[in-house]
Amino acid sequence: MTAIELERLTKQYGEITALDGVDLTVEEGEIFGFLGPNGAGKSTTIDILLDFVRPTSGTARVFDMDAQAETLSIRRRIGVLPDGFQIYERLTGRQHVQFVVESKGVDDDPMAVLDRVGIADAADRKAGGYSKGMRQRLALGMALAGDPELLILDEPSTGLDPAGAREIREIVRTESQRGTTIFFSSHVLSQVEAVCDRVGILRAGELIAVDSVEGLREAAGVETRLKITVDELDDGDADAVRALDGVSRVSVEGTRLTVAVSDGAKTAVLNALESRGVTVRDFETDESSLEELFLSYTEGSA
Amino acid sequence: MSWAVVARKDFQDAIRSRALWGLSAIFLLLVVGIAVLYATVDAVAQEPSALGLIFFVASSIGTFVSVAAIVICYKSIAGERESGSMKILLSLPHTRRDVIVGKVVGRTGVLAVPIVVALLVGAFVGTALLGSVAPVATVLFGLVGLLFALTYASVMVGLSATTGSTTRAAALAIGFLLVFEFLWDVVVLAVVYVANGFVFPVGAADFPAWVYPISQIPPSSAFVTSLTAIIPDAPAQGGTVPAPDAFDAFFATPWIGVVALLVWTVVPVALGYLRFLNADL
Repeated sequence: MTAIELERLTKQYGEITALDGVDLTVEEGEIFGFLGPNGAGKSTTIDILLDFVRPTSGTARVFDMDAQAETLSIRRRIGVLPDGFQIYERLTGRQHVQFVVESKGVDDDPMAVLDRVGIADAADRKAGGYSKGMRQRLALGMALAGDPELLILDEPSTGLDPAGAREIREIVRTESQRGTTIFFSSHVLSQVEAVCDRVGILRAGELIAVDSVEGLREAAGVETRLKITVDELDDGDADAVRALDGVSRVSVEGTRLTVAVSDGAKTAVLNALESRGVTVRDFETDESSLEELFLSYTEGSA
Repeated sequence: MSWAVVARKDFQDAIRSRALWGLSAIFLLLVVGIAVLYATVDAVAQEPSALGLIFFVASSIGTFVSVAAIVICYKSIAGERESGSMKILLSLPHTRRDVIVGKVVGRTGVLAVPIVVALLVGAFVGTALLGSVAPVATVLFGLVGLLFALTYASVMVGLSATTGSTTRAAALAIGFLLVFEFLWDVVVLAVVYVANGFVFPVGAADFPAWVYPISQIPPSSAFVTSLTAIIPDAPAQGGTVPAPDAFDAFFATPWIGVVALLVWTVVPVALGYLRFLNADL
């Protein structure tokens, strides 16, 4: 069964097109990264899945149920960390989770949930006094309560320090191992790159790429830079490397070679050098980050 | 019973409002003051009675509930939409109808607390000073008071549900109070003035019977009038417009006040709900 299925999903606000014919399928059990700059339509997509917003045309389905017609059944099976949410300032952390537990009709222990997101010691304080990071943790706890089958996380790392963001990734991995599908929306690429099985990139309301991180790299034609340090080097060696298939650029700096190479040709470069009697002392690869990849997509140069 | 979960959460949240407690304290002092005044100052009431005290307090309850309802309810829906807490509320298995019903019930509960407290204190003070108590009338007074709280909470939640902006919600709530509570006498007089051929009414005979139901449109008036209908042996209450027995028409009855309260309880919130149901949040 598919967890999320969008078909020709379109949303217009007056003259502005927030989403333009988005087709997307997220399979059960996947960690799907939903990537795009702010204003690309990520939150609009999630708002439609939750029936906060109604599509102009197209359909959105969650677990094969229509997002508009079967809203309640969907909400019973999902946990949501919304973007731009606000907690209830006058209620305590425990009361917040208790409310979720009662709303979903489950019997989770609120303290166990708060402990999991690291704010158990603040359980009986009013959430109005929580820091930004604690509020984010509380909201994550509320999303996790009731062991949902699908977790929708919209910019979950907002307000968290790097350690907090890493904890979120760990929680995401743990949830995934339990079989939870995770829809992870973010404009922070490193977050998505680190945990997601597949990634979709949204730009100006259009889904411009959906693939695994490696697949996207390949499709974008982004190359790996291979930095090789050798004992001795002459011009003939550099020319031999240059002549190999899959090598686009070679630059030499003393005994150091920098080779721009496609993924499959790394070994060929090292073999070619060694067969010419050159001793490779050290080498490192410098993969292009998803950041560059993402920019290459969203700026339209790819 | 999803709305009950929302109502409970909402009650827990709104009961902690400092503004509510401030208002309630003033209200309590007011009720005690009125009770003492009524029971001890001859110029206020020649023959003070427990029943008379109830009606003496009723109009201040009307004013308190209308103002407190605005303070407690104007942000109930619009505020949650504006701040984004609605995103959490509606990501849980609640329909938008559950949210509206839960809000109305929760906020009515919040309004009910000061009303019940003031009523008990007022009854105690009244009994101590007057030496008599009207138990049936007091209980009925409390019940109609709760209906009135429900009416106002319902109107205010309904207005709040029409918009995602608290500024607009506040304007709607205050506009409602101005038109239907403070200025309504002027509206009624203007209507009668025009109907009488641009002559101001002088005596009861100058008021056409159809003016009576119009004069009962303000919820506070409808509340006091409902009390006269429901409490046995209640004295008829007249204001700008004469008491209903001055008119010879089937609709000139104090029960019209109960009808008005019920209409206010149902109609605005239903319209607000329809607007909310179709809104993009």
